Amino acid sequence: MKPSDSISRRQFVTTSASVLGTFAIVSQHKARAAGANEKVVIGLMGCGGRGTYVATMFANRPDTEIAYICDVDTRRFSRVRDAIEEAQGKPPKPVQDFRKMLEDKRVDAIINATPDHWHALGSIMACQAGKDVFVEKPMTHSAWEGRKMIEAAAKYKRVIQVGMQSRSCQYLRDATEYIRSGKLGDVYLVRVFNMMQHPMRKKPAAESSPVPPGFDYETWCGPAPVVPYDPSRRWLDRWEFSCGAIAGDAVHQIDLARALIGDKPFPDTVSHAGGVCALTDGREIPDTQMVTFEFGKLTMLFESALWTPYMTKTPMDRRDKGQLPPNWALNATRIEVLGTKGFMYYGRHGDGWQVFNEKSESVVAAPGRQADKEHHDNFIACIKNRQKPAANVEQGHYSAMLCHLGNISYRVGNKKLAFDAKTETFKDAPEANKFLKRTYRAPWVIPDNV
Amino acid sequence: MKRILFASILATLACQTASAQWLPISNASAKLENSEMGGPFFKIEYELGVKDLSPAAPAYVFARYRESATAAWRLIPQQTLRGDHDIVESAGKKKMLWWGIGSLGLTNAPQLEVRVRGIRMIRVPGGAFKMKIVPGGGYDESKGQIESATLPTFWMAKYETTVAMYCDYLNETGKDGSGWHKHMANPERCGITRNPGDAYAVAPGREKFPINYVSWYDATAFLDWCGLRVPTEAEWEKTLRGGLYLDGDEAKKAPNPKPERKYPWGDETPDAGGVWRCNADGDADGFAQLAPVGSFDKFNCPYGACDIVGNVAELTLDWYATSFHAGLDGYRMARGGSFMDPPAGCDAVTGATQLPVKRSSITGFRGLRDARTK
Repeated sequence: MKPSDSISRRQFVTTSASVLGTFAIVSQHKARAAGANEKVVIGLMGCGGRGTYVATMFANRPDTEIAYICDVDTRRFSRVRDAIEEAQGKPPKPVQDFRKMLEDKRVDAIINATPDHWHALGSIMACQAGKDVFVEKPMTHSAWEGRKMIEAAAKYKRVIQVGMQSRSCQYLRDATEYIRSGKLGDVYLVRVFNMMQHPMRKKPAAESSPVPPGFDYETWCGPAPVVPYDPSRRWLDRWEFSCGAIAGDAVHQIDLARALIGDKPFPDTVSHAGGVCALTDGREIPDTQMVTFEFGKLTMLFESALWTPYMTKTPMDRRDKGQLPPNWALNATRIEVLGTKGFMYYGRHGDGWQVFNEKSESVVAAPGRQADKEHHDNFIACIKNRQKPAANVEQGHYSAMLCHLGNISYRVGNKKLAFDAKTETFKDAPEANKFLKRTYRAPWVIPDNV
Repeated sequence: MKRILFASILATLACQTASAQWLPISNASAKLENSEMGGPFFKIEYELGVKDLSPAAPAYVFARYRESATAAWRLIPQQTLRGDHDIVESAGKKKMLWWGIGSLGLTNAPQLEVRVRGIRMIRVPGGAFKMKIVPGGGYDESKGQIESATLPTFWMAKYETTVAMYCDYLNETGKDGSGWHKHMANPERCGITRNPGDAYAVAPGREKFPINYVSWYDATAFLDWCGLRVPTEAEWEKTLRGGLYLDGDEAKKAPNPKPERKYPWGDETPDAGGVWRCNADGDADGFAQLAPVGSFDKFNCPYGACDIVGNVAELTLDWYATSFHAGLDGYRMARGGSFMDPPAGCDAVTGATQLPVKRSSITGFRGLRDARTK
């Protein structure tokens, strides 16, 4: 066994800098307006539930102001507008076309909480306009977009923080340090779970519905084809608009697992098993996914299903309460790290972590706390000091990439695929490489040269 | 033994005017009597100071009591009352209630205080209607698109619950501050102040504005206090559009000319022709923020409900469930759009989600009475 095949201490130190907080400086660019004592002016792009939540948190901060709320559907303004005005005592300006917000030089940063297919394009356009970006996960809709976002952030000297807030948890740093110290021995296997419950979608009453007034559906479709309007959320089950549940939620788990094992960027191989098994309602995106990623001799097994009601996320009212240990067996968002000397459970949502030694004795049981606020603190600090944030664009790309690779393996028939980290393409698999980049609908195109 | 008691009746003090608030109730009195065989009962008399009640536009009358000056106020169960209570279809003098109190086990019945209040309602006759809760930010996939649905008869409050009504409720119940939120003190948005001794007061001029900054739990607590409940989305939508027959399925003599109407008044947008039909975003409609209830009473629903779109979005009984959250956060649906929504959002189909704990300036509620609660 070579040290590089598993996680050795030396390798860990070189690859997990971001988790350990030794951030590299991306540029010497001075923040345009947001000096140390100035408020950071932010605009929200996408006024859905997540956008409303994140923007309201920023509106509640003394060092930020939400100046704009943008949504193609003007009927979504009122709830977030009310919440922000209540929080900061000053109403934001609603605009339907986010480009008007980008034109305002007073705006320092945007929150991009759009659907998946708008994450990369919206963020790159913001970078081009000189805005820093807080983009919701998954950072990209296709693998190619991640590299373009990295290039845009570098070219325009922008801070991009991905909404993978679990990266900012102190207990992640503690658990990562524990693994790095070698107390688990050599780690060869990581099992990642993300189990959920989704209902079977009903058949639409009509093939298409009239687009409601006040809704710019063409722009909502953006880079994707303008398909007949369906007011339901079936778009979440279509490849043109979504990466599915694996990326939509499980990217948090995959990102945490990557952090725990030292932020390895790309796997050597990927193979997917599963498909649409239980929720046979016409969806394109699988409801059952088991993905194997090989990083040398370290194997990451990822399991996700949408039909497991007995496996639950820790309820909101029990999070951050320091209760230990959770019911690991039925914990829907746990990670298991298997070393030659020990075994670690790690749980999202502040579930903490627990270690068992060779005698199966519990030797560590530590609670955790979620870190939404800390993640936002980190973003605002990085806007001001121009350092790389905790969930920076590179880590966003690598974690989203694992989701895309798993999906592509499924889309080519659950084939095992070899990945070339240098070119970020599959080896000898043209049918798989077709899925690395989407087809863009003009004018909503990400150029090769961002 | 026969005792006589003149109960303290708030209605005589506070409900003399504004029809958009409590209905004016006057000359109320209560007598404790004993029947030969049925035990003690209260005989409550009152006058409803309105002239335009009818089966289609009745009043909802309810009464509350407390055993002593320090006891909590309680709703008198409607089933223990006889006479002119619950849905009252005509106005006039000498309304009378008989309240049998034999089951209460009271030891000091003469100390009882009673308050009678009334709310203006509209009747929505039973029958089929077109239901199309489809597009919108709060689309609930668990319901799907229901082309038509049938509901039994129910009665909906003609107006949204007002600041004055809610303040009255707080003064009767809110001794620990529950049900009140500091944002309510803003006189431009709500206007209920909490004063020493938990005395709540309405900012002058705000009485007829719809209450807002209430959570879903606050709304249901108020309606429990009245003996009402929040409407379901289906009931709300039927109130807006009317049934396939406006006189209900039993009569079927008055077909609804627009059973799939987009707005209470028809299909014209709220600002069509430069005439504003509800309180939407901006001040072109005459109101930069909220409007007093009934401000757009020329553009009512087919059965006469006012302001069902615009002004404040109205909380409903229905959960919001999506594939990704499956109701875990307990979102409830609010319908009709608000003074912060564009005109297009103040329609029959758009819904918004609201966390049940959220107190917002854009949401309020109105009450409903149906055969189950009646």
